Amino acid sequence: MEVSFHREIETLRLGAGDTFHGEGIMAVTKALLQSGVAYVGGYQGAPVSHLLDVLLQAEDLLGELGIRLETCTNEAAAAAMLAASINYPLRGAVTWKSIVGTNVAADALSNLSSAGVIGGAMIIVGEDYGEGASVIQERTQAYAVKSSVWLLDPRPELPTIVRMVEKGFALSEASSTPVILELRIRACHVFGAFEASDNRRSEHSATNRFAEPAGFDYARLSHPPVTFVQEADKVNRRLPAARAFIRDNRLNETLGPEDGDIGIIVQGGMFNVLNGRLAEAGLSDAYGDIGIPTHVLNVTYPLVPEEIAAFCADKRAVLVVEEGGPDFIEKEIGQILRHAELDTKLHGKDVLPMAGEYSPVVVARGLSAFLSRYGRNEAARLDEWVEAVEAHSQSVARDLTAPLPPRPPTFCTGCPERPVFSAMKLLREETGPVHVAADIGCHAFATFPPFSQGNSILGYGMSLASNAAVSGTQAKRPLSVMGDGGFWHNGLLTGVAGSVFNQDDSVLVIFKNGYTSATGVQDVPSSRPQGEGRGRGLDIESALKSLGVGWVRTVHSYSVSTMRKTLREALGSDETGPKVIIADGECQLARQRRVRPAEARAVAEGRRVVRTRFWVDPDVCTGDHACIRLSGCPSLTVKPSTDPLKPEPVAHVNNDCVGCGLCGEVSHAAQLCPSFARLEIIRNPNGWDRFRARLSSALIRLFGGYAAPSEPDARPAPHPIPAE
Amino acid sequence: MSAGSPITVLISALGGEGGGVLAGWIADAAVAEGLHAQRTSIPGVAQRTGATTYYLEILPHADAGRGPGKPVLALNPAPGRVDVLIGTELLETARMVQTGYATPDRTVLIGVVRRVYTVAEKASMGDGRLDPDRLEAIVERYSKTALLGDLGAIAQAAGSHLNAVLLGALAGSGTLPIPPDRYRDAIRAGAKAVESNLRGFEAGLAFARTGRTGPAPAAETEDAVRPVPEAWSLYPEGALPMIEAGSQRLADYQDDAYVALYADRLKRFAGRPGADAAFLSELARILALRMAFEDTIRVAQLKLTAARLEQVRAEAGARSGEIVDVIEYMKPGPEELFSLLPPALARRALAFLAGRGWDTWSIPMNVTATRFGGFIRLKTLASLRGWRRRTLRYADEQAWIEHWLDLIDRTLAVDPDAAREVVAIGGLVKGYADTHKRGRRNFDRIVARVVEPALAGDLPAPAFADAVLNARLAALKDPEGTALDETIRSLWASLAPDRQAAE
Repeated sequence: MEVSFHREIETLRLGAGDTFHGEGIMAVTKALLQSGVAYVGGYQGAPVSHLLDVLLQAEDLLGELGIRLETCTNEAAAAAMLAASINYPLRGAVTWKSIVGTNVAADALSNLSSAGVIGGAMIIVGEDYGEGASVIQERTQAYAVKSSVWLLDPRPELPTIVRMVEKGFALSEASSTPVILELRIRACHVFGAFEASDNRRSEHSATNRFAEPAGFDYARLSHPPVTFVQEADKVNRRLPAARAFIRDNRLNETLGPEDGDIGIIVQGGMFNVLNGRLAEAGLSDAYGDIGIPTHVLNVTYPLVPEEIAAFCADKRAVLVVEEGGPDFIEKEIGQILRHAELDTKLHGKDVLPMAGEYSPVVVARGLSAFLSRYGRNEAARLDEWVEAVEAHSQSVARDLTAPLPPRPPTFCTGCPERPVFSAMKLLREETGPVHVAADIGCHAFATFPPFSQGNSILGYGMSLASNAAVSGTQAKRPLSVMGDGGFWHNGLLTGVAGSVFNQDDSVLVIFKNGYTSATGVQDVPSSRPQGEGRGRGLDIESALKSLGVGWVRTVHSYSVSTMRKTLREALGSDETGPKVIIADGECQLARQRRVRPAEARAVAEGRRVVRTRFWVDPDVCTGDHACIRLSGCPSLTVKPSTDPLKPEPVAHVNNDCVGCGLCGEVSHAAQLCPSFARLEIIRNPNGWDRFRARLSSALIRLFGGYAAPSEPDARPAPHPIPAE
Repeated sequence: MSAGSPITVLISALGGEGGGVLAGWIADAAVAEGLHAQRTSIPGVAQRTGATTYYLEILPHADAGRGPGKPVLALNPAPGRVDVLIGTELLETARMVQTGYATPDRTVLIGVVRRVYTVAEKASMGDGRLDPDRLEAIVERYSKTALLGDLGAIAQAAGSHLNAVLLGALAGSGTLPIPPDRYRDAIRAGAKAVESNLRGFEAGLAFARTGRTGPAPAAETEDAVRPVPEAWSLYPEGALPMIEAGSQRLADYQDDAYVALYADRLKRFAGRPGADAAFLSELARILALRMAFEDTIRVAQLKLTAARLEQVRAEAGARSGEIVDVIEYMKPGPEELFSLLPPALARRALAFLAGRGWDTWSIPMNVTATRFGGFIRLKTLASLRGWRRRTLRYADEQAWIEHWLDLIDRTLAVDPDAAREVVAIGGLVKGYADTHKRGRRNFDRIVARVVEPALAGDLPAPAFADAVLNARLAALKDPEGTALDETIRSLWASLAPDRQAAE
């Protein structure tokens, strides 16, 4: 795992009377423990990967509380896990990234929701919408509405988040319905404090097991004919029960003055952005002391019609601040107003955009339009600010004269996936372009320069399946790329089994880097069992062979020439069915985290260590940068030339180089230029090393060459560079 | 609705730079000082070298308990409302400034004057770098106070991490109501690399208080004026440094006779109308480079220089007592090897290999230049210098040079501006193997489709220079030559259709 939470995990043991300080995700974890969950699980994905990391690293504590922890192979497995709450009074929580994870979980979610639960069931989703999102822009709200699952969208501050977790379980039990708690990225990472309470132990758990299974009860199955009964129960009993609970427990908040002729209804998660702009208008302050009636929906599904109607009753108009489309909430409020025969004017997507993130500027524009329409002069302050922001940006743009180049994420220094794309790029020069189905994972960075390849991305582990019809309609055999994460998540069945079943003429490259690295280096079934990891070392190659893939090759991913040759073979092979290449190379993030401290220790202890890194000879480099176009490694960069005859910057390897060897491989494979050299730095050389070095130096000098000083003195450098 | 506004701090960093730790230190120090502090971040895929931001709001605790209770952190920074912007990289800092996260009325900007080039900048076939002075000017112009410096160098000198130096600079700027000791405590509480982080903090603090930006860049020393050979008196003053540099390069490359050949070639243009200092300087530069073409002999020679060993040890961060080996990656193919033979023989050998389809064969070699075995191989290759004049490669390069000089000569007679551009396209040819072939191909294309037709009068005279310039820039856009093809096509398409048909 990329991030260590060992220090923070101690805060999970806090009890009543203590104040918890920490990140949003940690607060959620603490709230789960305070709610007496019996089981937890999930699948990693930003921004809730950390939740799973924390749970794994807190395994001891979970064990003490008897909590069953499962690292699920995908979100469908996680959702299915909640089935324990259908028959048993067990509270359980699972987590994943939405919307993509919710899509994967949809089948289990529908069936879970239809049967209903007796133990509180909660799904904590990272609502990855807007800024920095790595997925399609859709809302979890749609699933809540269509499957009758309640959706909590708490105000992004720790006490409210914690309260909504705790109340969410009670809501789930009061209405026999699973609930989703959604957290946007900034809420996941917000640091704050709340008053802790004691952790609760579930009555039944991994340590206090049920002696007997639940009795047979057909009504608990989502199977006809009871699904029709369940459908009616959702409407007739569960929904009213939920609304009553929400109302009685005041899960939604009405802030600001009692009276006022206009008001705002806002999703809980959007409250802070709104408050910031209200403060700008002079209608609030840093403490949320709002001067305009505001109804905060910490529960965005279901709405409570009486609450909405009561809030709107004495108002001329309300503004609904609801990020993203479609306008589920605004439409429903419209219906509520109509049913209540209120003529309060409804605004929302008429002044705010239907699509895109509600950033401060966007909210300010909408708020200003709303306020000015009702004669509020605070609008002027917002307009003034927005105009200043726009004028500023334009002024800077003018001074810059050209747009700033983007900086998309790229493969880390030494990443084992980059060489494969170098090989693909080199092969493309021979064969011309081939159709490439890309996938979710770090390897999707190959869609950015300098590789710029990939024709489609259909979902996690879906590349091979997405090439099914392409492979049958292209003269040139298409390529699919997939990570080992995607392979276990979905690709094994959806892709490989399907491709063998249909004898698709496709080539699949599986990146076996050992983890789901893009989400923060979590274990997958094929991860090597080590340390506190959960890997069991499942073998991808035997899995493929057992499915009947006849053509499987495993290639060390840094061997660019061999990879190019193997790709060439795969694209030209007469073998029918899928051809699979396993590109084998461990994630450098994980590897460096292990290797660096070990090396630093060894050097400090005076043991012999050989460090390898690459170097570009500036005198030989011609400044064409073909090496960079084939690599894109962050540590392979440029620096000013010192040669007056060559003004172009020369290629340069900086000290972040981990010596993966790609530079050398590429310069060999592409016959680039002889400016690359590998440096081997022998730390704490032994007597034999020193003897050989001295001998070589003496001989070189004898033949008129230059060599290192023959008697190096052994003083250490004044400041060792820290390993961290 | 009258409570004090929060002090807002935005940190813009690249993945893996410790921006999160920095935000943590600031928040911890603020809380210890009795202030209310909240922070959040967009780490996203930051580890994978993307850009990332951290945002903090700090409020005096005394105000707490107002309104509904706790302060409401805005989570998102608002343009024009940022008090402190900390930027670890110049382009990303400028990007923040453009969005409005620094404004002249309130923002104290603490910025590292450092570039981490984007892929687009690095991958350019020439110089794709943004102008750092422009970025720096913008960062300064649009902030209230800009504390800019090479903080990376300060961190390195202190044996610390950049984030600790930035924390020190923030403390030293006095922008936040937090005394330095609170920050020191926050570092100590972090319990990680405490010693080095404290060193970095003090260095940053000193920087902010004194404005000292680490070791001053060495002033450019004027090269000692060398005695100028008599022949050089033909040339304007401004062209002499480059001619001198070129002569030195060729003396090192071959011998005095070769320098004489260089002088002879240049003399052809001395005193010609339009051949001013700039023209001659550029001609001297590219001519020297092309005459010092990189054959296998030259590469071996370059790998044996003394300066190289020093450079390698410095860059590898090797300490005394450590042994550094340099393992060269070389992969000569038939062209590199057989072009060392006399032309007639070499051509036959290459034709034979091509006939058998063996011309793509090559020998990957890893030569350890720092060991005797590798050294002696390089030394043997380098000693072939005297033989060079008899090789195919030499004959080929000299023929190309004469061809190019001839084109310049002819163009200079009709259009000095265009002649300048014909000089410049000589610079497209460089490097080894594929890069060299691509350069030649682009050069040939531009000559065949632009220069020769223009000299033949097929192109309107005023368009000549621009057409060559545009073609050269297009040739540098993509290695596949797509942009060049497109530029040439549109050049002819813009002329009369009958001309296009004649092409």
